[in-house]
Amino acid sequence: MSEKPQDWDRSRDEIVSGEYVLGVLSEEDRRRVEARIATDPKFAMQVRRWQTNLADFNDGYQDARPPQELYGRIEKRLFGEGESVQSGVWQSLWGSVAVWRTLTAAALVFAVGFAVADGIRLPWATSSAPLVAELTGMDSPISLVATYDFASGRLSVTPAALKQDQPKSLELWLIEDGKPPSSLGVLPEDGRGDILITADLRTAFSAGKTIAITVEPLGGAPDGKPTGPVIALGKTKLL
Amino acid sequence: MDDLGALLARVSLKDRDCFSRLYKASSPKLFSVLLRILRHRTEAEDALQEVFVKIWQRADRFRPEDGKPETWLTAIARNHAIDMLRARKPQASAIDEAYDLASDEIDPETAAVNSSEGDRIENCMRILESDKADAVKRAYVEGLSYQELAELYNIPLNTMRTWLRRSLLKLRECLGQ
Repeated sequence: MSEKPQDWDRSRDEIVSGEYVLGVLSEEDRRRVEARIATDPKFAMQVRRWQTNLADFNDGYQDARPPQELYGRIEKRLFGEGESVQSGVWQSLWGSVAVWRTLTAAALVFAVGFAVADGIRLPWATSSAPLVAELTGMDSPISLVATYDFASGRLSVTPAALKQDQPKSLELWLIEDGKPPSSLGVLPEDGRGDILITADLRTAFSAGKTIAITVEPLGGAPDGKPTGPVIALGKTKLL
Repeated sequence: MDDLGALLARVSLKDRDCFSRLYKASSPKLFSVLLRILRHRTEAEDALQEVFVKIWQRADRFRPEDGKPETWLTAIARNHAIDMLRARKPQASAIDEAYDLASDEIDPETAAVNSSEGDRIENCMRILESDKADAVKRAYVEGLSYQELAELYNIPLNTMRTWLRRSLLKLRECLGQ
């Protein structure tokens, strides 16, 4: 089922997005609205705005304690038998172990949040949709989410490195065929923050490029070339 | 009280301890949402499991700039419960029909509010007639369909649709664009 933007005028969009958030629509209509949310950032924003506006109604829900054993059932479903985690263990792991050292090879999926096929933009693609990458380490509890905003040239990576034995930096690289890796910058030490992509590299952000993260001496690779182990690597691709 | 946003960020890294803390902090509210909408305890318990499986899988989609973590979590629970009800009791599709609202005039009071920055929902609800405001809130809190609302207020289905649609437009004007 396809929805053409011109079929929906503005006040109608406001109503439909509001009806969706209220919850009054039929199942079929809900699926259609969700399909639109996934492809139309402006409409998605209208839905989020209703969600925020109507969130005060959530005060109408008083707390109700679920049965004690319910969490165990959720854990079992997600993590299988006998893997119940004792509270605190993971917390201390996070605080003390140099988790990054345990990362070996990693897979990187670079999902383009809108359709760009061979440089042809589909009509509904807008530059406001960010490029999103999920960086997942193999056999590792860690992953990163990188978001590249085309408009501002800002690359956000959340969350990232934790404490290490020796202070190190994580450096992000863009690798194009036949060229030496270009440094995109060093991830902030607390693992939360943005990297501003320099103007000359912004044009290189497209599908089919390789992005890698390496462990480097504090402050980044001294000669502008990667020296440390690659902890995450992958090719950008189209959704 | 744990910071739900920080917990969600950790959960997106598949941190199970933080998932457990997130459950402790948010499950009473989400369970309440499910009980209220599904009106059935066993179903609400099953649904709570599904909701937390979704939260585990989708935590990386939460963006702090899009709103509060509480709102995001509550939306997952509400959507899940409403989807369950709609799947069980099919309703007529209505978003293709003509939305005959173009002639709906905005009264001067609403227009005046509209020119300002926008107001909170609590104040904007006062613009609506009390039974319409009540229908809007019950639709949201109890997850009622148009059909159920029409029966509850003893008015034709199409009248109920018009009630809510006009109410939504008035609220949007009041809340700000």
